Amino acid sequence: MRRHLLILLTVAIMIPSFSALLLGGAGLIQHERAMERVARSYVVDIAESFASRLDLSWSRTRSFPFGDRERFMRLRQLTWGLSMPGWVAVVDRQGNILLSTGDSNVLPLLWERGIPIGSALEVESREGEKFTLAVYPAGETGWYVVAAVSWDKLLGPMLRFNRWPLLVGLVGLLGLLSVLALWKWLVAPLRALGTEVSTLHLGRDIPKGDDPGAVHEIRRLRVVLQQLARGAVERAELMKRYVGDIVRVQEEERSRIARELHDGPLQDVTALIHQIRLAKMEERELGEAPQRLENAEEGARHAVNDMRALCDELSPPWLDLGLSQALDELAERLSRQLGVKITVEAGIEEELPPEVTLAFFRVVQESVHNSVRHGGATAVNVRFQRVGEEVLLEVTDDGAGFDPPEDFEELRVRGHRGLANMSERMSLIGGRLEVTSLPGAGTLVRCAWRFTSSSA
Amino acid sequence: MKIRVFLADDHPLTRAGLRDYIAKEKDLELVGEAGDGLEAWRVIEKERPDVALLDIRMPGENGVALARRIKESSLPVRAVMLTSFDAQQYVMASLRAGARGYVLKTVTPEELARAIRVVARGGLYLDGEVARSMEDGESAYEALSAREREVLLHAARGLSSKEIAGVLIISERTVQTHLASIYDKLGARNKTEAMLLALKYGIVALEELIE
Repeated sequence: MRRHLLILLTVAIMIPSFSALLLGGAGLIQHERAMERVARSYVVDIAESFASRLDLSWSRTRSFPFGDRERFMRLRQLTWGLSMPGWVAVVDRQGNILLSTGDSNVLPLLWERGIPIGSALEVESREGEKFTLAVYPAGETGWYVVAAVSWDKLLGPMLRFNRWPLLVGLVGLLGLLSVLALWKWLVAPLRALGTEVSTLHLGRDIPKGDDPGAVHEIRRLRVVLQQLARGAVERAELMKRYVGDIVRVQEEERSRIARELHDGPLQDVTALIHQIRLAKMEERELGEAPQRLENAEEGARHAVNDMRALCDELSPPWLDLGLSQALDELAERLSRQLGVKITVEAGIEEELPPEVTLAFFRVVQESVHNSVRHGGATAVNVRFQRVGEEVLLEVTDDGAGFDPPEDFEELRVRGHRGLANMSERMSLIGGRLEVTSLPGAGTLVRCAWRFTSSSA
Repeated sequence: MKIRVFLADDHPLTRAGLRDYIAKEKDLELVGEAGDGLEAWRVIEKERPDVALLDIRMPGENGVALARRIKESSLPVRAVMLTSFDAQQYVMASLRAGARGYVLKTVTPEELARAIRVVARGGLYLDGEVARSMEDGESAYEALSAREREVLLHAARGLSSKEIAGVLIISERTVQTHLASIYDKLGARNKTEAMLLALKYGIVALEELIE
């Protein structure tokens, strides 16, 4: 089972508080029961001793022992040493109170219930005050002694059992508030951090460096994470610049070699052909068969064709004509070379920066090759247009299609550099490339470049 | 009367060979040579040759720009591009700039002489090696409709499908349909081929192309 932090925290808070509450509750109940027992034996003892004293007094005087004048004193005498949180009363058979040490107005109510004599019981007054009370007959006097202990006075109002639910609710509420606080300052920030880290593209994204609502440890973590991400972005930037330099130097070098080849050896060999042809003509005038010259011319023409092909492969001179025409030319050449139908729809007249032209050109070159080589396409459409501030290039084919990976670098690892290179070319000029394809449904390569991003 | 020819190329050895090619022909006369674009323009203005053979890549001013300058100045000089660039796009760019011929430098002496003569007579000469569709062969084609000819003409002038749609006030899709029909009728595989074939069959006149 997965241990979620919130559940753990909730359990960690709720279990101890509620068990403390339960334990406290159980202790309280036990304590109350003990008190109850003590109170019972206490009131029984008091009632009994009072009754026996009363009886003794009766047998001596045969009259109610407390004259009006000495009533109070005698009572004090009788109850001497009796310090109880309750009262004692003497009642006659009808329940009339003859004598009372405290507030015994609860008595008439009790009297009607037929209270058992000689044992203690708990009763409640009209005001809800609880008593433990015992009634004892005072010998032959025909009177009864009632002794009572008030629970309120005995235990105090704080520990009364009927407040218990309120206490439980309060503890529960406090627990809930703690969980809420933990959620807000710990769990939610942790979760946010977790989501951010798991979707973080290292080397591109920089996460938030602070979360004011989180605990200190998480804020520290964020600061460190942001530093790490910054470092990664800097490294990626460096890497990109480095790769960009490599690509640029490579292209510059290719174009330099192509130019040198074109202006040097290609011209030289062309001139050589002219000389061979002229020599052939002179030989013919002398009536000699110029077979060796024929061979030499053949060889020289081969060299010219090879060098032209090499120039085109390195860096086609016709790229200077602008992208639309360069794409037309490329389409013509590739369709002849690969035996595939290529249509070009170009609707851009603006001149693009040379590196942008080159990037789009290389992408089309690579896409068409991929379409034919890997997809077995027979028709490719190249669409090149301006949409708002963006230049959009779309290459669609009717080939077998494939399942494009999330990250082109995966393909590079497996030895297929084409897509990764195309994507890199676009990213170097500040553009983007996406490939949409499904097995059996052809492939769409889409590139976009913003005019404003030319500063890259 | 001899055809007066001018030759501009920055490569001395190539120039020497071509000079000798021309010298072999009785009806051709080389009236001037230049090694860069600016010098070439001075000689052309002064000598006013019938045919100017122009290299595309030259220091100073390139051959295509030079052809355009000749056209714009209304000199009675016909430009023929003489180059090692075997790209059809250069052919179209040259024709739009006013050139009458396009010949690769690996041309044989006979072909070069023929090209000069054809152009001097007011014709159009394109090297078979670069404009393969211009080579002799079956010349059967289906006639284009007036609209199709219009679309093709605009395309030949270098307009994109979108721009043609704008000019003719039709949808881009319709332009594409027209183009597809044109390729079909002329037996062309692409736009450039269709344009070259239209020139070959006389459906479109060279003058109509000029910017």
